[in-house]
Amino acid sequence: MTQDVEMKEQQVVAAAPSNSTSSATPVLQHLKEIAALIETGAYAREVRRILRAVRLTIALRRKLKASVISSFLGFALAPGSEAHSRLTSYLPKDDQSDMEVDTAASATQATVKHSSELEIYCYLLVLIFLIDQKKYSEAKACSSASIARLKNLNRRTIDVLASRLYFYYSLSYELTDDLAEIRGNLLALHRVATLRHDELGQETLLNLLLRNYLHYNLYDQAEKLRSKAPRFEAHSNQQFCRYLFYLGKIRTIQLEYTDAKESLLQAARKAPVAALGFRVQCNKWAVIVRLLLGEIPERTVFMQKGMEKALRPYFELTNAVRIGDLELFKTVAEKFSTTFSSDRTNNLIVRLRHNVIRTGLRNISISYSRISLADVAKKLRLDSPNPVADAESIVSKAIRDGAIDATLDHANGWMVSKETGDIYSTNEPQQAFNSRIAFCLNMHNEAVRALRFPPNSHKEKESAEKRRERQQQEQELAKHIAEEDEDDF
Amino acid sequence: MDPKVTEVSQLFERFKAALVRNDFDTCSKLLSQLKILLIEFKSLPPLFAETPNAVQELTLARDIYEHAVVLSVKMEDQDAFERDFFQLKPYYTDVGNRLPQSPQEYPILGLNLLRLLVQNRIAEFHTELELLSANALENPCIKHAVELEQSFMEGAYNRVLTARQTVPHETYVYFMDLLARTVRDEIAGCSEKAYDSLKVEDARQMLLLSSDKELFEYIKEEHPEWEVKNGWLVFNKAKESAASCKEIPSLQLINQTLSYARELERIV
Repeated sequence: MTQDVEMKEQQVVAAAPSNSTSSATPVLQHLKEIAALIETGAYAREVRRILRAVRLTIALRRKLKASVISSFLGFALAPGSEAHSRLTSYLPKDDQSDMEVDTAASATQATVKHSSELEIYCYLLVLIFLIDQKKYSEAKACSSASIARLKNLNRRTIDVLASRLYFYYSLSYELTDDLAEIRGNLLALHRVATLRHDELGQETLLNLLLRNYLHYNLYDQAEKLRSKAPRFEAHSNQQFCRYLFYLGKIRTIQLEYTDAKESLLQAARKAPVAALGFRVQCNKWAVIVRLLLGEIPERTVFMQKGMEKALRPYFELTNAVRIGDLELFKTVAEKFSTTFSSDRTNNLIVRLRHNVIRTGLRNISISYSRISLADVAKKLRLDSPNPVADAESIVSKAIRDGAIDATLDHANGWMVSKETGDIYSTNEPQQAFNSRIAFCLNMHNEAVRALRFPPNSHKEKESAEKRRERQQQEQELAKHIAEEDEDDF
Repeated sequence: MDPKVTEVSQLFERFKAALVRNDFDTCSKLLSQLKILLIEFKSLPPLFAETPNAVQELTLARDIYEHAVVLSVKMEDQDAFERDFFQLKPYYTDVGNRLPQSPQEYPILGLNLLRLLVQNRIAEFHTELELLSANALENPCIKHAVELEQSFMEGAYNRVLTARQTVPHETYVYFMDLLARTVRDEIAGCSEKAYDSLKVEDARQMLLLSSDKELFEYIKEEHPEWEVKNGWLVFNKAKESAASCKEIPSLQLINQTLSYARELERIV
């Protein structure tokens, strides 16, 4: 379960500095540049810069060493300050000599006044390092300390860093399997974030809470929280994907398959390419939901790159449902029962039995114009003391639910299939066509809305006047779209 | 022993005695007294204070609520059942690891599943099911409810009805009877769509009614549109589904076309 959520940011190539003279520790140099970025971001109140700093850090993640971090701490935090001594205590005390050299070198620069953004950043850096080094108990202590520190800070520029901290806070507890412990804390943090209008924080915390609940299969609580928590346009794509995934899971459990399918497929599509584990997980659930809906997923779903092996059990399951063979279905379910129970999809698979029968029944009703109920029972391989009566009631329910078009003749014990009507004489094709058109148009609108123009890119080509004109047009268009949307819904 | 605990347990003994006698009035009275007394225990939900008597108090409270659930079943009061069950639930989920497992746990959980099934709250049924461990699913009481749900979904209604003979616990009978009624309505709904006509005799058997008279009463109450003609039951199957396809839903089409035009204009 861990793999799916550790959605790694796409590796951003760290902008290598041309004047990097201190080649001994290029990583430290990078970190210093990031620190400078954060300082300017904090000073100019530009959240984007801090976002960029976090992205650059993730790119450095694999190269981090204890010595580098401790010297960076010496650079960024005033030595002897509370934060500095606390953070250094978490780091392992190896390669002492190296460390001393670095601290000595950075001591001269320690006069720089540090902002609280930078302090929080140090917490984040140490936390990431500890998690990567699998020092989970230290990570737990470090994250709890950082959360305590965060409670006293209320600045928009910290929100980005804070949301990351929340994530690693929860991750460090999940890795030691103590998620239940922090649920109360997360709820309190979510409340604080809501009061401070920290939307990114709310988004992150809501996801963490949902994850926390779902970890213990508390679907009821998860849904109650989700439906009552404030919603707004997503700030981070990763968080939105997770949200969709959790939403899809909740909907699946509550039998709202159509909505569940939509959320799960969207989550799988929106997830970054690098997040393979997450996408596999989404696909597994999506396959089951589609089967429960009576759809058969295409073969390409199972042949996606890097997923063939993980989706194999689900592929065989799909096959069994497609054929409508109860025996085969049972064997597959037993053969892969360990996989299914580790994916926690066992209960869903039990629900599928009913779909297998339906598909089998549909095949029969297509192939035969008239068939006796005893044969239906035999073909479906219903093993029960009274197969004919079972078959009769199963068929009659299928007829009522519209799965097959037939009538029953009780006196003779027959099922008589009706002629399948010409589907083109109904409104069905028109409806299908309409839903596709609506999807395309919606996608276009979303794309237009998502466009973001860098402010200076057209400077050389167009005069100031033209630009003003263009911007005005854009604004009008955006307004127009917004208004139309209000009309539509 | 703490005097309060003693007081509660004495009262509880009287409650149990009354429950055995099926003296429901006394039971409900005692139960409300017990519930009020339980409020004073700090170790119970939602406070979960770590008092020295915590385990003892929790066990006692769990016992009381378990009996309250049984009482509500005996009194055939579904709302009370739901209330008492939700009060009981934290003792299984939140403090389950601190107390020895109650022998009543699985029967009561199964009973709750059955109740959700009877009330046709299938989504909640599955939500509850997710909370159960693989171990719990093997328990006959839980398994019974799970299998019932499956047969119910498939449409194998006679399997649902035969399950009444194999109830794992005497308290289940009440809900099974309710379920039989739900099943009858389902069968009626299905037959209406599946058959053109049925012999009265067959219909009576299918709907599990003992006499023709009962059948006619049932038809009068639930399905007045069914016709009875010389020994045959004729379902007036509405053919309007076929008829509706003939005409073109013009208003809807106009709306759609206009919206396409508007969207296209925006793109161009």
